[in-house]
Amino acid sequence: MKKITLAFLIISAIVANAQEIHRDTVYSSLREKVDEQAMKIAGYDERISADESVLNELNKIKISGYIQSQFEMNDVWSADGSVHGSGTPTVSNSFSLRRARVKFTYKPIDGVNFVLCPDFQVNKISLKDAFVQLNDLWINTFSLFVGQFNRPTYEVEFSSSAREFAERSLMTRTLYPSERDQGAKLEADFMTKFNVPLKLQFAVLNGNFGEGAIDNQVKDIDNGKDVMARAVYSFSMPNKGLGIDIGGHTYIGNTTVIAQTTPVPTVFKDVNNNSFTPIVGDKLKKELFGAEMQVYYDFLGGLSLKSEYIRGTYSGTTNPTQVNSSFNANKVRNIEGYYISLIKDVGKNNVASIRYDVFDPNTKLSGDAVTKKDDLKYNNWTYAWQYFFNSNIKLMASYTMPINEKSLNAGADYIKDKHDNVFTLRFQASF
Amino acid sequence: MKTKNLKIAAILLVIMTIGLSFTSIDKITVKGSDTLVILSQKWAEVYMKSHPGVSIQVTGGGSGVGIASLINGSTDIANASRPMKASEVSKLKARYNTLGVEIPCAKDGLSVYLNKANGISELTVKQIGLIFSGKITNWKEVGGVDAGIRLYGRESSSGTFGFFQDNVVKGDYSPNCQTLPGTAAIVNAVKKDKFAIGYGGAAYAEGVKDCAVKVDDKSKGVYPTAETIKNKSYPITRYLYMYLKSRPTGETKAFIDWILSPEGQKLVVETGYFPVR
Repeated sequence: MKKITLAFLIISAIVANAQEIHRDTVYSSLREKVDEQAMKIAGYDERISADESVLNELNKIKISGYIQSQFEMNDVWSADGSVHGSGTPTVSNSFSLRRARVKFTYKPIDGVNFVLCPDFQVNKISLKDAFVQLNDLWINTFSLFVGQFNRPTYEVEFSSSAREFAERSLMTRTLYPSERDQGAKLEADFMTKFNVPLKLQFAVLNGNFGEGAIDNQVKDIDNGKDVMARAVYSFSMPNKGLGIDIGGHTYIGNTTVIAQTTPVPTVFKDVNNNSFTPIVGDKLKKELFGAEMQVYYDFLGGLSLKSEYIRGTYSGTTNPTQVNSSFNANKVRNIEGYYISLIKDVGKNNVASIRYDVFDPNTKLSGDAVTKKDDLKYNNWTYAWQYFFNSNIKLMASYTMPINEKSLNAGADYIKDKHDNVFTLRFQASF
Repeated sequence: MKTKNLKIAAILLVIMTIGLSFTSIDKITVKGSDTLVILSQKWAEVYMKSHPGVSIQVTGGGSGVGIASLINGSTDIANASRPMKASEVSKLKARYNTLGVEIPCAKDGLSVYLNKANGISELTVKQIGLIFSGKITNWKEVGGVDAGIRLYGRESSSGTFGFFQDNVVKGDYSPNCQTLPGTAAIVNAVKKDKFAIGYGGAAYAEGVKDCAVKVDDKSKGVYPTAETIKNKSYPITRYLYMYLKSRPTGETKAFIDWILSPEGQKLVVETGYFPVR
């Protein structure tokens, strides 16, 4: 019995020892594996933190943009496709690239933005927005923009990618051509810090029109600066689903006569259509006063009514360095214009809109007293329907019916309403 | 004849506009605040059980993500733990011609989490702000031991991040504040680190201690409890919101009405938040 017990104890000791050795081996192998994995994780950590710092830098750059590609059909005066009176064949329908813009925003540190937005056209690239924006970090109210930016009016600042119609109203296109100018703009938004829904804008601008030869747009051409100011207050009645933004703006500036143009001396027409001959250096008035209102009402989905009214004195010249293609004549005029747009969201993906806009480039003359087509008043109707495939792609059908003032003395085309309606079918992809 | 056709076209257009405006949906998507995601999922589960024909899909991502999705049309309801910003309202106006609809659906207190071993148990709102902005960096500056303060906070897309920044930090966060994805991760980090401090929903404080918050030096510290959050004596309280593009109709309206009913608000309490009614 003793021998059996002894043998059992010896065998147990051997087995136990063997298990101990096995456990040690397993432990050591596991340890090695854990150390190996820990080193790998530390390596990944290092790599991730390097990637993270690169990613953080890239996060400071934001890229957005849109392309508008369209098919346009426009009326011509004669059924045979020629313009009345001249016989020149006219293109009455065409595919075209209306806008192709990419906007780069770089935010290197808090409170500073650099914005660059080129517009790609078939034959050239032009610069739209290019400015530095400095935001105050103390009371989060003021922003200073320096460079080239939108002039501060509602319709100008409302992006072409979001607009409910193919083009802006005739009034805005004439008075604020190319939408942008170079200068400095100070904005104060009292909402963030003070919870007061008031926004003020003040801008000092070169006052160039931003059209014509690029060389003429690099710098100011007459030393005189134009100023703009705008104020908007937003009323909000969330319980009624109603919001009303009311505001006004002014543009005070001049068109300086920088040279006599052919035939010398340059003869201008004043607001009463009387001739006068300015000398070089004379400043012709550009003074505009505007009011605006946007009403938003939640009625079976979104519904908005938007309107702007502008009147004042405006001047133009045929000097090619100061060209405004919509006001291209040696003249000073009292002008008046407005638009009213009604926009209705229909279901989740559709928006229907209608706009009536009026622009009178010479309030002192009307009817047969108007002797030049550029002085004719226009009443325009625009109907548009948008369908949003998703947040990036939309289709717009827009039909514009310009109705001109009739005059027996402004050219044969304007004895009655000229056939110049335009239908636009536009695809827009944005990102 | 031409006028008659135009009239018919105009009438058809009006009928189509009104008809399409009444379009209702049986699938509701909800996206946004991580603070609200658990509560929202509970609402959806319970509601779908009693309304088998309705499908409700809930995802998080943060208040900013939810509101951005509302603006780009990829969600019907955006959950947010902060009010919508003026810039976001402007985007809604531009795309949908509305100001959006704000529905407060629960109340919450933002807790300041401390490790249980930390000797500090109360701080003023100002001190908390200075800590998270990096102007106070050592516990001894607020009466604690001589040790550096480690900060944990949410990502910038989070409504909690924004609310805490606007109401407590009142400026930029310290660059040393480590951002973590979700309140649970912050609680976990503070639980493991004796000298850490974090913030998040009052419902999440498990394994850490809540810091009593004082309005100023002279006032008494208040803990975030049901009572103090409801009566607003706890200084860091907020509403939790649902945002819609326009007034809800159809199934979306029924779901929201149910959330605001006693049955829906009961789930608010069960999840650790506080009812609005």
